[in-house]
Amino acid sequence: MRQTARFAIAAIALACSVVTASTSASADDTIRFGAILPLTGPGAVIGTEQMRGIQFATDKANAAGGVRGHKIEVVFEDNQAKPDQSILSFNKLADLQKMPLIFTAYSGPSLAMAPLATRKKVLLINAGAQADKLATASPYLVNTLPTIGDEVKAISRYLAGQGKKQAAILYENDAAGIAGRDDYVKYFPETGGTILAQEPTAFGQTDYRPALLKLADAKPQVMLVSITAGLLQMAQQYKQLGLKFTVAGTTFFSDPDTIADPSSEGFVHTQVRIDAPPALDAEFKKKYGVPMEFFVKQYYNAMQIVLTITDHLLAEGKPLTGENMHDELFKIGKFQGLIPLEFKTNTATVPLDINEMKGGKDVTIKQVSSE
Amino acid sequence: MLALQLACNGIVTGCALGVVAISFSFIYATTKLFHVAHAGVYTLGGYLAWAMLRQGLPTPIAFLVSIACCTVLGALIQWQLYARLERRRATHLVVLIASLGALAVIQNIIAAVFTANILLFDLPWGSRVIHLGGDVRLTMTQLLTVAASLLAYAALMLFSHGTILGKQIRAVASNPFLAEITRLRPRRTHIYVMAIASALVCLPGILTPLDLGLQPYNGITPLLTATIAMIAGGVGSITGAFVLAVVITELQNLSLLVIPGEWSIGVTFFIFVIFMLFRPTGLFAAAR
Repeated sequence: MRQTARFAIAAIALACSVVTASTSASADDTIRFGAILPLTGPGAVIGTEQMRGIQFATDKANAAGGVRGHKIEVVFEDNQAKPDQSILSFNKLADLQKMPLIFTAYSGPSLAMAPLATRKKVLLINAGAQADKLATASPYLVNTLPTIGDEVKAISRYLAGQGKKQAAILYENDAAGIAGRDDYVKYFPETGGTILAQEPTAFGQTDYRPALLKLADAKPQVMLVSITAGLLQMAQQYKQLGLKFTVAGTTFFSDPDTIADPSSEGFVHTQVRIDAPPALDAEFKKKYGVPMEFFVKQYYNAMQIVLTITDHLLAEGKPLTGENMHDELFKIGKFQGLIPLEFKTNTATVPLDINEMKGGKDVTIKQVSSE
Repeated sequence: MLALQLACNGIVTGCALGVVAISFSFIYATTKLFHVAHAGVYTLGGYLAWAMLRQGLPTPIAFLVSIACCTVLGALIQWQLYARLERRRATHLVVLIASLGALAVIQNIIAAVFTANILLFDLPWGSRVIHLGGDVRLTMTQLLTVAASLLAYAALMLFSHGTILGKQIRAVASNPFLAEITRLRPRRTHIYVMAIASALVCLPGILTPLDLGLQPYNGITPLLTATIAMIAGGVGSITGAFVLAVVITELQNLSLLVIPGEWSIGVTFFIFVIFMLFRPTGLFAAAR
């Protein structure tokens, strides 16, 4: 009786393995990656850009025959830029769908997922968040753009050169905002500047008037900003209050709506340099009806890196695991996508621009290095 | 200049919150229901106005239609949800949970239809800046918020004390059993109360997002502050709720003069906790 039961269990197990094997075989043609991005909520404008960048690169790769005959598919999960939601999405993609690689954005969610990425050996590709802690959060978290610290050093040097040495800080009370605030406090004085005041705001908050008024009372020459959402409302309220000091920030200022709004006239910020060839830009515009904005290019570029790694691993006959993808990225080291990138550490080295918002456009006024 | 501008901003925010507080107080005093879904009605008002403006409706029409829709929604919630629960002798806790459920449903429908992104009204006159002297600047929207809120407060006071229905509502609030015996039909009165309060809350629901943008989940914070204003002002006192809402926001704004911004909400509510220890019935309780 016991022997019969064992035989039955073995038969069921064999049947299951055959079914599983046949399922894997049918899925072998398509390589699937994940992306956990804020597709709704206050970060949705940027999240949608990021999604389009990944999807555009994926569609182009598939149209060209895929990677060594394999179609690529990216499964998108909406985290509303919330760490708790990101964890749920990560577990779903990593455990249930066995994704070896997941694109991420925003510092809070990326930092929340980093320990899980280490434990489960899933490669996290971040092409949008810049908190300094991301550089060392996990060996499996790779950043394709510099940290806020690198950008803050650059904008501080520029402002010092312009004689603007009295600053106030407006920051968002979350991981990215506080990281930016800490960087301003650390690096702005190194260029001979003084921080006169600092005020926090909550993520998603849109009433900046009390904070702006308090900062204005300190009579700064420049307001250093570290917020990732609500930039347009901040700009409009700054204008309504008739404030005159310079407003400075980092790549997070790269919000098309804010740039186009007259209230942002004269805002200066660092910008991670990334250019798209005119033909590629035109192709994107034809498909989505808008030009390739900054985060579209960043995630397009990040997808190019992923495709290159995938191609190398398939050529070497290695399985597409998170561990192999991680090792292969550092083995390749240098990538030439939309910009030249080099991975000496988990954070890539890239060129930076200083931009000023003029007449509804973001104009480069100086080119600097992220070093 | 800073203190004056902060005070003016506090009055604007306080007036908007004041209307939320008096409408919430109006409901609570009469029905004894903790109508959390009021935050959903508040949020929906702004979205409906935004949607109708996008369809090309004139601004006053869009606002009025939005207020009418909120009025109907409020009446429906009372008629189809709370009244049914009351007939089945549901406890206050069950009604509170039902109200939370209604709020979640409204918010999720808004997020599904309009997305959870920040939406801005495309009304250039709203952001026009008016110089009030002494370097104090307010936008047209802010001035409109103050004017409309004061009018709403005055109208509710007039209605409550100067009309037959208003007096009936006060009678029902004062003694529901006696009201039932004297054929004041409390259940029908509750529907009127909910409809009026929903129309009222729609005003700040439109005007605040006109200034700061729309978000589907931004109704809870105003409702929380309004609830505290209602309790601190004295439950049932319309004036108390309105005045305390203004006082709370003024304290929050003016506290920035002496403490960092991250402490202002905590310190303000700490003051109110202390205040409530000494006057638990609220500031205007005697004036009921």
